[in-house]
Amino acid sequence: MTIEEQIKNYEHILRQYNIINQISRTVATTLDLNRILRIILTGVTFGDGFGFNRALLFLLDRGAKTLSGRMAIGPSSGEEAWTVWSEIQQSNYSLEEYLNSDKFDIQHKTSALDEQIKNIHIPIIPGKILSSCLEDGIPRNVDISGNYDNADPEKISDSSILETELLTYLDYPKFCVIPLISRAKKVGVLVVDNKFNQREITPDDINFLLMLSQFAASSIRNTIIYNDLKDSLAALGKLNNKLEFLKEYNEKIIESIPVSIIVMDHDFRVTLCNSNGEKLMGSAKENIVGKQIKKGLIFIDELDLFDEAARVMEEKRAEGFYKANIIMGNHERSDIFDITLVPFKFSEDTPEGVVIIIEDVTKTVTLEQSLMEAKRLSELGRLSATVAHEIRNPLIAIGGYANRTKKKYTENGRVNSEDLDIIIGEVARLEKIVNEILDYAAERKVEYKEIDIGKVLQECISLADTAAEQKKINISIECGGIFIENRKIIINGSADKLKQAFINVFNNAIEASETRDTVSICVQFEEDGDGKYIIVKVNNRAYLGSEEDIHSIFLPFYTTKSRGSGLGLTITKRIIEQHSGVIYVVSNIEIGTTFTIKLPLIRF
Amino acid sequence: MKKILVVEDDMPIRNLYKEELIDEGYDVVTAPDGVAGYELYRKEMPDLITIDIKMPNMNGLELLDKIRKEDKDIPIIIYSAYGEFTQNFSTWAADEYLVKSSDLTEFKNKVRELLFKK
Repeated sequence: MTIEEQIKNYEHILRQYNIINQISRTVATTLDLNRILRIILTGVTFGDGFGFNRALLFLLDRGAKTLSGRMAIGPSSGEEAWTVWSEIQQSNYSLEEYLNSDKFDIQHKTSALDEQIKNIHIPIIPGKILSSCLEDGIPRNVDISGNYDNADPEKISDSSILETELLTYLDYPKFCVIPLISRAKKVGVLVVDNKFNQREITPDDINFLLMLSQFAASSIRNTIIYNDLKDSLAALGKLNNKLEFLKEYNEKIIESIPVSIIVMDHDFRVTLCNSNGEKLMGSAKENIVGKQIKKGLIFIDELDLFDEAARVMEEKRAEGFYKANIIMGNHERSDIFDITLVPFKFSEDTPEGVVIIIEDVTKTVTLEQSLMEAKRLSELGRLSATVAHEIRNPLIAIGGYANRTKKKYTENGRVNSEDLDIIIGEVARLEKIVNEILDYAAERKVEYKEIDIGKVLQECISLADTAAEQKKINISIECGGIFIENRKIIINGSADKLKQAFINVFNNAIEASETRDTVSICVQFEEDGDGKYIIVKVNNRAYLGSEEDIHSIFLPFYTTKSRGSGLGLTITKRIIEQHSGVIYVVSNIEIGTTFTIKLPLIRF
Repeated sequence: MKKILVVEDDMPIRNLYKEELIDEGYDVVTAPDGVAGYELYRKEMPDLITIDIKMPNMNGLELLDKIRKEDKDIPIIIYSAYGEFTQNFSTWAADEYLVKSSDLTEFKNKVRELLFKK
């Protein structure tokens, strides 16, 4: 090598170092990954620099399974190449000047080459060129042009180990692959070629590209790490904001819900009290939070809140008090509250505390009461209308006969005793109706005591016998008669009320029967898991007539008889239900009508 | 002597109407429900019929309908303890609709009027 040649060689090396230096200085000014990549690729292709026609960058995906095309710089045709080169040459920029100029920012924004590369994803397959280059960190110089005249043994000419995606994309048989590896960490690969001026890639080129690649790989990796960190920090920040927001949100909810919330720890010390709680306690939050709730301070009805809270903490079970009063000191509030105590754990290592939720239900209770009153009044209205109709017939008869009696007396000074009998009879009928209404309307409580229902039934049956005899109707005890005669069958209830109930059912059966019909009574006993029962069935041969009649039979003032208040069975049903029993009716043409009464027993 | 059929389920009222109408000089037959009322109408050929509405077996409106289908001209008075039945156009087939009262003056006047018109 001559001196001149040596000097030229050193100048060349110096220039290439200089380029790497310029690239590294520019890269240091940014943390934007895209900009860094563009600076590197521009440096590789810049005429004053390495001067490659095209440079492509593939980055290894996070999972290290795929190399994805990230960026490409270079013209997409020879014509375009010429324009770009001449332009840059005219401007006479150095690489660094160019990289820092506005032109750099404007150019490469949309190149066809760059757009296409983003769609290329090459899977890592051992043995294939990109994969193995990244694996062993050795650059690959490729020439598959098949021009064996100047075949270079250093170059790879076996096209079978080349990724087809890459070949199709490059559309040129000579290129070079440089691994980008930073401190044993694989980052990606750089691919360069000289499609347009067809300059051969020399070992010298590759050495310098390798020098650049180490620097490029580490700046790319650092930037990726930095950006990841930034993203994580941002995400963390967002999460933090969210937590802050949630906390505020929860606090706002607790403040704004229309119930009082007071939280106390296992020491009965108040840790939280919302503004409704303040109002209820009649003191500012500052005076409540941190203070201990002592025994004998607050009462729910007669119960000490302290004791109740202690019990909830111990049993770890919520407790509710409905429509209760709160008494604080000597001051009893007229408001009505629903109070719930819920055991509450702040964290694993603190003992159980209690959340006390107090809801003012005064309005609801008042509303309920007025609703009940309205319902009672409307029922009363309906009842009075029906009652008025029921007493109208006897009144008309009484009035009519009174008029007749007066007329006759005026005419001939005589009074017809039969007419008076009718008046007397109708007055008795009215009295009966009025008594039943009073009975029905009376909210008298049943006085429960242990009574022998067998004795009650026997009395009722003998009364029914007398009534049946008059109508020439036969009463038959079908079964169970022996039981009620010989055993004490004890029920908790009122003998008078039950007598009334049974007589109503018996009389009903007799009145509905035709002469010489049979009314049969059957008494049975039953036992199930819940207890023992007496069952009384009363059957007569008359069919009630229609489904509607069967359904309505227990309704007040419903009657198929022309004479009756329509209250008998309604009262019966109520009495049976007061004794926790049931009554129901089955009626069809074959069996007639059967009333069944089932009552729970204490013993028999 | 004009013959009147009284169909009424309530016994004292049935008797009251019967006796008052007999006093007025009519021949009176009575029935306790719609079914018996219809039989008597066919058998006795009355000159006027008075019918209560609320009755067992066949009610007054059903009886009214049944008789009107056979005889458009026979005077019929329908009455009830329930004033609201006037709203029911079934009652319009009757010549008169009256609300029950212990004072039978209006009832007797209507009977006289209807028989006179006939």
